[in-house]
Amino acid sequence: MIRLSIISSKHIVALSFAFLVSSSAFIASAAAQDQIETETAQKPVQQSSASQSEEALKQSTREKVSAAEKMGENYSFDNPKDRKTFLKLTAELRCPMCQNQNIADSDAMIAHDMRRKVYQLMLEGSSEQEVIDYMKERYGDFVYYQPPVTPVTIWLWALPVLFAFIMMGVFIKRREDTPVEDLEAKLAAANKLLKDE
Amino acid sequence: MKKITLFLLPLLLFLGLCIFLFQGLFSDPKERQSTAVTKAFPSFTLPDLMDESIIYDNSVFDGQITLINVWGVWCTTCAVELPYLENLKNQGYRIVGLYYDQDLDPDFGTKTVERVRSEVVSMLGKYGDPYAFNIFDVYRDTSLDLGVTGAPETFLVDQQGIIQVHHLGDLNERVWRNKFAPVLAEIDPRFSDTDVIKSEAQDSLQEVSDKTNTAGVGE
Repeated sequence: MIRLSIISSKHIVALSFAFLVSSSAFIASAAAQDQIETETAQKPVQQSSASQSEEALKQSTREKVSAAEKMGENYSFDNPKDRKTFLKLTAELRCPMCQNQNIADSDAMIAHDMRRKVYQLMLEGSSEQEVIDYMKERYGDFVYYQPPVTPVTIWLWALPVLFAFIMMGVFIKRREDTPVEDLEAKLAAANKLLKDE
Repeated sequence: MKKITLFLLPLLLFLGLCIFLFQGLFSDPKERQSTAVTKAFPSFTLPDLMDESIIYDNSVFDGQITLINVWGVWCTTCAVELPYLENLKNQGYRIVGLYYDQDLDPDFGTKTVERVRSEVVSMLGKYGDPYAFNIFDVYRDTSLDLGVTGAPETFLVDQQGIIQVHHLGDLNERVWRNKFAPVLAEIDPRFSDTDVIKSEAQDSLQEVSDKTNTAGVGE
């Protein structure tokens, strides 16, 4: 009975280790994949000569942004999908002024300005990634809540995996170090002592 | 042997953690790498604060080293640094203000341009006027392009219109000596003459107080 329970607890520990390792590895690979996608995403070629339609688009955007501000930052979108993207972006972009607040949450002036800029860029047809890149270019990686995978930040994902492996190694080694014969010899010695008495 | 490692390993881990947390006590969480430095000043076309018929663009940087000071009348720290900036102006540096106001949209804001102007005039009259002229960043687009997070911030722009220094917070003697003077000495020997003499005299002093200085920069 004791033996059985030892085996099952061993299994549970091993299983939880395996789960930890695999989940960490999965997160790491997902982040790396994201990074690759971000890097390979092509930037649109900027046209040097602004055409008239672009000028008109900018003008109408300016009017819409102003109107939205007049209504107390009531940013409205024709497309519900755009609205979702806007909410996602303002939740994932970090306010550079107030630590640990996103720009949707913060009332700092810079957060107001960034929300307005996100709205303006989206009206002008920027994709989600383009808006993120726009902000990153100005405020650095700090401005986006998902850190990029770099030689420095890779430890965020690598350390938990390494830790799990090391702990598993230590655990297995300790299991191996306790010899079973010893226990039996001790039991025999104890029995002998009991018999002698 | 095994006992010693069992004793040392947690101790070392603990000491490592202590060192990591201890240096965290003195690190400035607001400090981060500016993305603006070594880049060209973002292109802009903005009016003068006092006279909207004057329009400035990037040609204001041509052939001159310029300090761009981002400020506003609503900002207390800006008022504090005005006397020091005026002192710099008197030493021959060219300081240009990049002014922005807090109303989100001047078209619909509560403040009229006239009121902003009168406030600016009274504040500069009170604390000193270091500015060659003020550029009015009406929609704060240029501030956003510069990566400005708040006022005051100061940029050192060289003769080619490249940003060389980006400083967040107020400008004072210590910041000037540690952050601006070394860069100025590099990009323009004409400016550095007085600074080099000054900093040579202060070198021995600076070396001694270097540690305290770096610790105090984030104040």
